[in-house]
Amino acid sequence: MDWQVIINGILLGGLYGLAAVGFSLIWGVMNIVDLAQGAYLTLGAYITFWLFKLWGVDPFLTLPVSAIILFSLGFIVESQIIKRVLRYGFVMLLVVTYGLNLLLQNAMLVAWSADYRSVTPSYSGAGISIAGVNIPYIRLALFIAALLLVALLTIFLNKTRIGNAIRATALNRLAANLVGIRTEFIYALTYSLAAALVGMAGSLISMVYTVSPNLGGAFMTKIFVVTVLGGFGSLPGAVLGGLILGITEALTASYIAPGLMNAVSFILLVVILIFRPQGLMGKQFYGA
Amino acid sequence: MNSSAVARRRFPLSIVALIVMVVILALLPFYIRGYWIRVLTTLFMSAVLAEALNLVVGYAGYAAFGNGVFFGIGAYTTAVLMTRLGWSFFPAMAASCFLAAALAFILGWPVLRLRGHYFAIATIGINMAVMEIVTYIGITGGGKGISLPIYPGNIVKQGLFFYYCMFILLILSVAITYWVANSRLGYGLRAIKTEPEAAEVMGVNTTLYKVLAWSISAALTGVAGSINAYWLTFLEPLFVFDIMISVEAFVMVLLGGPATIFGPVIGAFFLKLLSELIWSQFTLIHMGVLGLIIVIITLFLPSGIMGLWRQITLRWSKVRTTAANQ
Repeated sequence: MDWQVIINGILLGGLYGLAAVGFSLIWGVMNIVDLAQGAYLTLGAYITFWLFKLWGVDPFLTLPVSAIILFSLGFIVESQIIKRVLRYGFVMLLVVTYGLNLLLQNAMLVAWSADYRSVTPSYSGAGISIAGVNIPYIRLALFIAALLLVALLTIFLNKTRIGNAIRATALNRLAANLVGIRTEFIYALTYSLAAALVGMAGSLISMVYTVSPNLGGAFMTKIFVVTVLGGFGSLPGAVLGGLILGITEALTASYIAPGLMNAVSFILLVVILIFRPQGLMGKQFYGA
Repeated sequence: MNSSAVARRRFPLSIVALIVMVVILALLPFYIRGYWIRVLTTLFMSAVLAEALNLVVGYAGYAAFGNGVFFGIGAYTTAVLMTRLGWSFFPAMAASCFLAAALAFILGWPVLRLRGHYFAIATIGINMAVMEIVTYIGITGGGKGISLPIYPGNIVKQGLFFYYCMFILLILSVAITYWVANSRLGYGLRAIKTEPEAAEVMGVNTTLYKVLAWSISAALTGVAGSINAYWLTFLEPLFVFDIMISVEAFVMVLLGGPATIFGPVIGAFFLKLLSELIWSQFTLIHMGVLGLIIVIITLFLPSGIMGLWRQITLRWSKVRTTAANQ
């Protein structure tokens, strides 16, 4: 067994997990498949890139900026568009979020061109070597940051009043309304929170991938696979799904063929959907 | 209120309008330039894709977001059969039709058990998986693409040939939709859309009906892909398996009005003409404008043009009857 391959897969998998958490949360709480998440991810990556390029801000310090900007954007999108489309059902929501994705992606293309850009902090090359396995510091840091963010979200959902309100809304919107939760606000909050999370994922991803308007599109498909693998609405599921996808990709690329990496993950997606649509963790979001 | 009288009075008019429309479109190529023949051919193709998608999305209520996979399969089957095995076009087209339908039929049994988002995501997964496989295997030419033999004859003849191919396919797909909508299958599908459990209890073989609808949709999409491949003579996986093909068709269905016979055609003509006349010059913002249109449609026209039309005619007939009663 080649440990280098496994480790690479795990380190990448953490990022996949974080990227999928917001998508999974929206699906679990609001029952929306949000195809605009890819554009939010790209925007987060661009925020980090520009802050780094123009003012030399350390990429890790740009996380709060991404979070705030995307939280606001998410709030506007939810309260102006998503809220109005909710009553037309899920087909309309799929289409409208895809439309938003196109719009945002195109806006970024017009504003910043299709050039591939990269964020290169001074420490991007360094790493340590343990028993013949190379671990770049930056990938390790990204992995830890991703896990920390997911852990924070878990604590937020389970320990705070608002977190409990979000979970209650996911469970039963009507009943949550009856006990005095303003579910309309909770929906807006959940959507913004998810946008902020995927934006931060984008910020982290910009440190190891090249940034272009298409970045989000490539990650969107990973987000699908991860969410379906882990079971939608499940945060540990998203992390587990991310790790499995990361390892599967790494193993496929090195043992079967690099060209089949994506094909294998899509086939995995369809197979999991057919045989275990509730995902590996088995339980849907806190009930429902 | 005598609504049946209204319906009886309107019915022949719409038939006449339809026949006039068909005759005009059939004679049009002799009076217009090559550019407009090309535009109309694309328009017919989009209408076919929308109409095919309508069977699954509009009637059965299943969001086949990756329906474009059958377009790619149709295109690549034709390409491979014509270049590698030297088949002529029409047998290759028939094979494309059959293969697309067969794939939908086989995949339909497990995949159509999924509902809502799960089905949508599964179809996207299938679309991407097939694209990756086609890119990987050698016989399709892989990521470099594949060139088809060029249609024999001069450029005018060529234009006419593809115009009429797409036109006939469009008439066929409208006819099939009309037949489905008024057949047992159509009633079954609408029952499934409203309440799947109730439909099952009523004796509708839900899985079979859904699979049949998807297979018909796939067959039409596959033929469109096949004709398009022979028309363009060059294919690339990224181009024919683009998820945008399905998304555009989706927008056309929603714009025109899902679960109506002419809605998707109207939606396709409207969107494509608009795009051709207004924003095709600005290729940089093409996608963004489409996105904007999508958002506007969902916000302000959720039941589509046909839905709006129905509301207006309903209001008219109401006004007329109240006026008659007074």
